[in-house]
Amino acid sequence: MSSRFDVAPAITGALEEREAEGRTRAVRALLARPVLRAETDGEVFRLARRHADSLRELFDRLAGWRLVVESRTVRLLTSYVPAGPTARAIAQRHPARVKKGDPGFTRRRYVLLCLTCAVLERSDLQVALGRLADDVVLQAAGVEGIEFTLGNREERGDLVAVIRLLVGFGVLTKVAGDEEAYAAGGGDALYDVDRRVLATMLSVQHGPALVEAAMGQAPAIEDIEAALHEPPPAYTEDEANRRLRQSLARRLLLDPVVYYAELSEEERAYLVRQRVELTQRLTEATGLVAELRAEGIALVDPDDTLTDVRMPEQGTDGHATLLLAEHLATKGPTEIADLRRLMKRLAEENSSVWRKTTREPGAEIALVSEALDRLAALGLVRVTAETAEPLPALRRFAVATPTISERRSR
Amino acid sequence: MSEGDATAYGPFAYLSTPNAALYRRVMRALLAEKERFTVHVRPEQVYAALRADGGEAVTEEAVGEAMERLAQPAWGNLLAFPDSSRVTALEDFYRRRMLYQLSRPGEAAERALAQYDAALGTRGALQSVALADIVTLLTALRDAAVADRRGDETDAAVIHQELRSLRDRFAELAENAVAFMGSIQRTIDLYGADVEAFLAYKEQLVDYLERFISDLLTRGAAIAELLEEITDKDVWFLATTAAEREASDAAPGETEDALARARQTWLRQWSGLTDWFVSTPTRGSEAKLLRARARGAIPQLLAVVRTLHEKAGGRTDRTQDFLTLARWFADLPRDEDRHRLWRSAFGLTSARHLTVTAETEDAWVAADLGNAVPWEEAPPIEISPQLRKTGSYERRGRAAAVVDRTQAKRQLSEQAARESAETAEARRRILTAGPRPLSEFGELDPRAFRLFLGLLGDALAAMGPEATTSQVHTSDGELTVTLMRQPEPALARITTVDGVLSGPDHLVDIASAVDG
Repeated sequence: MSSRFDVAPAITGALEEREAEGRTRAVRALLARPVLRAETDGEVFRLARRHADSLRELFDRLAGWRLVVESRTVRLLTSYVPAGPTARAIAQRHPARVKKGDPGFTRRRYVLLCLTCAVLERSDLQVALGRLADDVVLQAAGVEGIEFTLGNREERGDLVAVIRLLVGFGVLTKVAGDEEAYAAGGGDALYDVDRRVLATMLSVQHGPALVEAAMGQAPAIEDIEAALHEPPPAYTEDEANRRLRQSLARRLLLDPVVYYAELSEEERAYLVRQRVELTQRLTEATGLVAELRAEGIALVDPDDTLTDVRMPEQGTDGHATLLLAEHLATKGPTEIADLRRLMKRLAEENSSVWRKTTREPGAEIALVSEALDRLAALGLVRVTAETAEPLPALRRFAVATPTISERRSR
Repeated sequence: MSEGDATAYGPFAYLSTPNAALYRRVMRALLAEKERFTVHVRPEQVYAALRADGGEAVTEEAVGEAMERLAQPAWGNLLAFPDSSRVTALEDFYRRRMLYQLSRPGEAAERALAQYDAALGTRGALQSVALADIVTLLTALRDAAVADRRGDETDAAVIHQELRSLRDRFAELAENAVAFMGSIQRTIDLYGADVEAFLAYKEQLVDYLERFISDLLTRGAAIAELLEEITDKDVWFLATTAAEREASDAAPGETEDALARARQTWLRQWSGLTDWFVSTPTRGSEAKLLRARARGAIPQLLAVVRTLHEKAGGRTDRTQDFLTLARWFADLPRDEDRHRLWRSAFGLTSARHLTVTAETEDAWVAADLGNAVPWEEAPPIEISPQLRKTGSYERRGRAAAVVDRTQAKRQLSEQAARESAETAEARRRILTAGPRPLSEFGELDPRAFRLFLGLLGDALAAMGPEATTSQVHTSDGELTVTLMRQPEPALARITTVDGVLSGPDHLVDIASAVDG
């Protein structure tokens, strides 16, 4: 006895699932790297373009962010003002880097980056490193307090790092030549300039030049951040609520953990009421999981991909971080000097598995600082000049040493 | 650079002085006077002209001095003569009066500069009208060539005239096309200069380009066709006709040479025309290139326009934005603040999230937590003990040594060889030469007997209760067993070491299927 089996809903359901999965992948890719390019990002780029309309609507609705979709690039213009000590500590630990594992940008590199972009704005469609360097030096002369000659290897190396960063984001494409040769002295390289990508390098509500006029000399970073992203005034209650919701969504999407204690009264009240709906919308869009606790909320990743800092992590620094976290979780707030003594001991105990350099005298200072950086970058620990204290989310890790209860003979 | 510098000489020297603008105005005024056939000019006249030319105000003394310097021997733009005409005022008498005239080098330099001005200032033009004229002229020439082929008379004067017109129109077209494309390129490059003008100009430019491209396409095709119709012989004929007319002015002895030279020139110019409009397999025609460049210019222009439109927010120049950021980066007190500014202004940093494992998620579900359980009380993420101990997920230590198994392998292969030899032997022993009754088998050694018993069993099973004969093969196909039931079977007995097999007698035929 046979009956007609209607395949259509099953197929439609499977297709919708595929589409939703593709959208989620694109959302995650954009959160991990807000510029996707056809040349380097292959499949996720295609996914992002395919779902461009729904993604645009999604980001606008959830976070009030703009998505710019072009033929060869997709750019998510994120906007976020950190408030509260943990959010600010996290924000302080997002340095620019050429690639993972590189040291963060220094003052000189940041300034060179801005000067280079300023020069590229006025340049032709192609630019040579040598000429660019000359123009940057000229441009620097017009800015007070900055002086470049690009005459020594270090400064040239900084310019090369800036160029590589811009190549990574698709602003420049190398056509010929060798940057290394330029850094060593005497080489040159030729690049194509993509003005469209350059046009979306900045992601602000108000242009810095306009903002600068209203602020004084040498403004503080908090003021700069607030001024660059100041939203237009909200005239209705609906609008005010939407702002609130989007501001919370931005925090949850970008930062590892949001503590209730650090929110404003309004935000806290709203979040406590609406946390389930809000986090549900976010988890649906991103595939993250909502960890709702008494002290705060964390959107956590079951795939371990949507992050630039991981805990736990393999390697010497990861191990040091883990052991330090263990100590802080069990002993509570500790002075940094004590942590350094502890680290020295740990370096000895683990000398067989850690890097050789950790046994050198004074190495514990850098180790402690690196480990505390990672923990603060994840919102797990608060670091002051003298002490480090654990934050509630540190307790989500089981860091007690395991006990062996019996030995089995072989 | 001081005026009268030893390294600067000649009529162009004044261009590199600080007062170059004034000198240019003076020279232009003198040239304008010359065109009105006023050769000798006084400083007062030049001063009056300068007052009216819309430039910066100057004093009469400045003009006088400028003209003096222009007349100095090192520069030689002007020639100076003392002015001996009658004066009516005392101061005029005491003033050193000179008359000035453009020198030949000075005039040549001025005209060159004027051309330079014109070329830079105007945008040139892509003339569709020139194309139409070229078509007309070529048609006429083709008709003349055809007439000549037929043997009719042709008018040499007309042909010469048409060729000259064709050459001129074509030269104009080519020059103007070059100038135009050049200015388009400069426009594209310098778009920042005047945004409004550019945006207004863009519409007309795009229309213009599109019209020209389609004209070039249609008329270019017509021209190419006409050029094909005019064969090499025709070209030779036309060139010779024109050359003959030109050579007729030459001195008597040189007519041949003049003719040959003139003809060469015409042939060369004709080939220039052909190259321009006709493509060969190896080289596209100029017209095609021009079309391609004009076509390429349109999207470039539109891209520029789009970039202009994209300057979002106020009318601030993005360059200023970056310079402001540079200042901020330099002025902020700490590195941490700089990292915050990088994240805030550029928005290019990664999102950061903690991880969770599947086991932990399951533990959460199992624990049925509410939304307000403290972190300390919720099931935690378990960290692998291996990781906690060594900082790495992999085991460390020496790899195990590879065991040497050659001895055991040799033993096994020897054993296998032995067994197959014994089996072969056993098979040979149970082969019967033709059917034999079971009773005649007598004694069998255990191995042979086992084999025999297996075969007998298969054959009996194959035979079943009703049949009287059966034939089976061993699974490897080497032996064939035929079993036949006896009508009045006696009892057969086969003795082995382990015991005696007895049963009704059958005829058994075991043959080797291989060596038949």
